Amino acid sequence: METSGKVLTIDHEKCTGCRLCELVCAVKHDGVSNPMRSRIRVMKWEAEGLYIPMSCQQCEDAPCLKACPVKAISRNASFERVEIDYDLCIGCRTCVSVCPFGAMSFNPVEKKVFKCDLCDGDPQCVRFCEVKAVDYVDAADVSLKKKKAAAHRISVAGKEAASLHAAL
Amino acid sequence: MPLENTKQSAAEALRQTRTFGKVRCHNPSCMGRIQPEPGARLVKCPTCGMEYRLYWVSPTLPRIRGPVWDVNREIAEKTFAEKQAVTKPTAGKMKGK
Amino acid sequence: MPLDRKIAHINLTTGDIDVKSIPLNVRKQFIGGRGLDAYLLYNYARKGVDPLGPENPLIISAGLLTATCASATARTHVMAKSPLTGLLGSTNMGGFFAPELAWAGFHHLVITGKADKPVYLFIHNGNIEIRDASGLWGKTTTDTQWAVREELGDDEVKSLVIGPAGENLVRFANVMTGIKNSGGRTGMGCVMGAKNLKAVAARGTLDIKIAHPMDALEYNKRFIDQITSAKVNQTQGTLGTPFIWGATNCWGGLRTRNFQYNQLEYADDIEPERLDEIATETIGPHHMTGCFACQVHCRAQYKIPSGPYAGKYDEGPEYTSLGAFGAEPGCTSAETVLTGNHLVNQFGMDNLETGSMIAWAMELYEEGILTEKHTDGLDLRFGNDAVLLEMVERICYRKGWLGDTLADGGIPAAEKIGKNSFDYLIQVKGMNNLHSDERATPALALNIATASRGSDHLRSRPAIDLYHLPEGVLRKIYGTPIPYDGPLSSEHTSYEGKAWMVFWQENCYMAVDCLGICKYHTTFLGATLPNFEDWPKVIYYNTGLEFTPEELWTVAERCNMIERMYNIREGLSRNDLKKGDTLNHRYFDEPCKRGAPDVIGMCIDREQFEKMLDEFYDYKGLDKNGKPKAATLKRLGLDREPSRLL
Ligand code: SF4
Ligand code: SF4
Ligand SMILES: [Zn+2]
Repeated sequence: METSGKVLTIDHEKCTGCRLCELVCAVKHDGVSNPMRSRIRVMKWEAEGLYIPMSCQQCEDAPCLKACPVKAISRNASFERVEIDYDLCIGCRTCVSVCPFGAMSFNPVEKKVFKCDLCDGDPQCVRFCEVKAVDYVDAADVSLKKKKAAAHRISVAGKEAASLHAAL
Repeated sequence: MPLENTKQSAAEALRQTRTFGKVRCHNPSCMGRIQPEPGARLVKCPTCGMEYRLYWVSPTLPRIRGPVWDVNREIAEKTFAEKQAVTKPTAGKMKGK
Repeated sequence: MPLDRKIAHINLTTGDIDVKSIPLNVRKQFIGGRGLDAYLLYNYARKGVDPLGPENPLIISAGLLTATCASATARTHVMAKSPLTGLLGSTNMGGFFAPELAWAGFHHLVITGKADKPVYLFIHNGNIEIRDASGLWGKTTTDTQWAVREELGDDEVKSLVIGPAGENLVRFANVMTGIKNSGGRTGMGCVMGAKNLKAVAARGTLDIKIAHPMDALEYNKRFIDQITSAKVNQTQGTLGTPFIWGATNCWGGLRTRNFQYNQLEYADDIEPERLDEIATETIGPHHMTGCFACQVHCRAQYKIPSGPYAGKYDEGPEYTSLGAFGAEPGCTSAETVLTGNHLVNQFGMDNLETGSMIAWAMELYEEGILTEKHTDGLDLRFGNDAVLLEMVERICYRKGWLGDTLADGGIPAAEKIGKNSFDYLIQVKGMNNLHSDERATPALALNIATASRGSDHLRSRPAIDLYHLPEGVLRKIYGTPIPYDGPLSSEHTSYEGKAWMVFWQENCYMAVDCLGICKYHTTFLGATLPNFEDWPKVIYYNTGLEFTPEELWTVAERCNMIERMYNIREGLSRNDLKKGDTLNHRYFDEPCKRGAPDVIGMCIDREQFEKMLDEFYDYKGLDKNGKPKAATLKRLGLDREPSRLL
């Protein structure tokens, strides 16, 4: 069957802020627990209870890829991801500075840049996030759920408006 | 090393015994299983007759929200008066009344 | 690669800091978290030490599994001699502090001495710095945390702080982290205040090594499935702990109006479903949040819907806030509960103790033992919401005669108030009871009477006793890992076998507290949650340490015993109403008046209670007076304490 490939989606409203995704990401990739090594990071505004997980968008026209002076970053079509070739990477961190999302990170211990690799098609953040704040969905359907939620809001608002109107 | 990973622990084995769509009566000496109609808001325990308001955590997970207060108070006062008239009971001595 | 984790001894008087590795043999004996804390307290707190003096060691720890690839290992444990009870001070909290402490390079801190001006500690990747906190003094718990971040220029800093209550030496002041994660019991915030220690801030980017990472990851998935599939946790994840409160209130298992009644009637406005509506209206449909790496997410977010604090953001309320600002003072307004919860969180004050102290004063006022002279004119009747909230503030700032008196805790306050006020104080070992009524449930009554930190439900409560599980199921749970073939009754009003259930739970809860796991992830509210048989795997994959279920049980017994030894050394004796394993007379003399028909008329039978206590002592290896037998200490390897191994 033809597929359009899958993408990682983030619905920050659902996020509980638990950071399990950070934990399992670091364990899966580096075999240790350390959020600094995680490809996904949860940004928090605790005073208002706002939690927003941030990860790589695997941009189609990726600034990191374009900016890399030694062409160490490329697009891998089979995993629909932007990836780093460590044999070519010189550790200059240009990609870190140009990524508009802060999704390219730098590991000061191993002196390497790193980013989400979608766990080769089985992203652990998605597997462990029970509330599905991070999800891995068919690219063609990426906004379908949002459409439905928005449509529901519109219909509720419509009904409210109608009842207000009737009450006048 | 006790690491038989496939062997189930007692807690894991007990998972199979759970039931869905039912609540236990909150009358502690009854604790009968009540199976409400899906989505029902009120339910009466078929074993002891207590009546409860219901809430649905999920479509298969009902929960007793609380008693019907007026009825509850009436029963409480009546029962208390009756029991005080007989004897001063204690938890243990109540058994098998 | 052997486990190498650090403990730091910090002296605030001299500024000396001494860092050591925690030897593996100590780990094997006491594991970590609460167990190792208890060992440290027994070893480093001199007998009779002044809880507010510089010598009282304040011990802060993360569990053995904290920050490893295991579920819900967020727990921070804090110990010291309690300024509330004069016995074991011990408190446990969730949030994000403990893992940060671990990534910053430490698992245990022992803080002694007293700073001559307000300070805070900054722990960062193996370094510990004592910093000036003059600018933080007087700030609320959340303002303190944000100010520390601002000063350090790092939003990822997690701090353990005290609020004004701790500074004012309220005997039941909290240590807190985040919006509402509280170490509330036994006044550990008061100990921090007495040391002039406003905060402990942590920030770490060090690796916590995982012994078998891929196995740990896979097993964690299985562990989490086990936890999140439990119905009780699905309900927790939707309604939070208020659901327990609601269920308990439904059948009459709550302590209301200072234990005059056992049900808060017409409480619809503070039923969990109503609170859920308020959270949905003020935050949105996804208003549940949780602690580090936890998939239960039992904590609600909300904004106060109305009143003088309308619009303020907070988290909770938990069971205890519903008790403290609902059941106990006899109030049924959501606004009051949500506001009271917000106030204690901001002040850094134990909600349970605060609500109980005020409810006690309310009964004394209605009985004429306290008068308007004592209350500075406040009409301290039950159900007076405005006065309840006013009293919260008076206690925190020790305002007025009564505020100042109540801030000293139950027993000192009763001594000051005099008359028969002590008879109305519903406490064990100087600490107020949870707002639950144990008169229909002997097992639960034994639990609160014997809990090591004073009346407490999180030390040994066999909550599943209320589920009337078939005897076979009970035998499966309570007969592992140590065989048990004595009586075991499914009937919650029975005294049969309940001592064993309490003993089993005491060991179970000690083990989770050592590991740093939350109690909703073990046999507490659900019968299908992991315990002794499941933990060896999670420990082995994450740390490489090998334990059998039986060994874990013995460790738990040992840790419980050293807590007991500590309490005995500080004067615990079986029948002492202020420092013993016994209950307020109302448990024995006054029958329940409300609730389900079968609860009505119940109270605890003194004779059977004492028999149950004898059995419990026997299982623990204590003599009739509750003191450890020499053979028991030998069996548990505690006959040479204090051993000062680290
Ligand atoms: S695991 Fe899910 S809920 Fe938890 S922090 Fe990550 S995205 Fe949020
Ligand atoms: S690292 Fe940043 S720039 Fe590169 S693909 Fe990911 S999101 Fe885009
Ligand atoms: Zn019934």
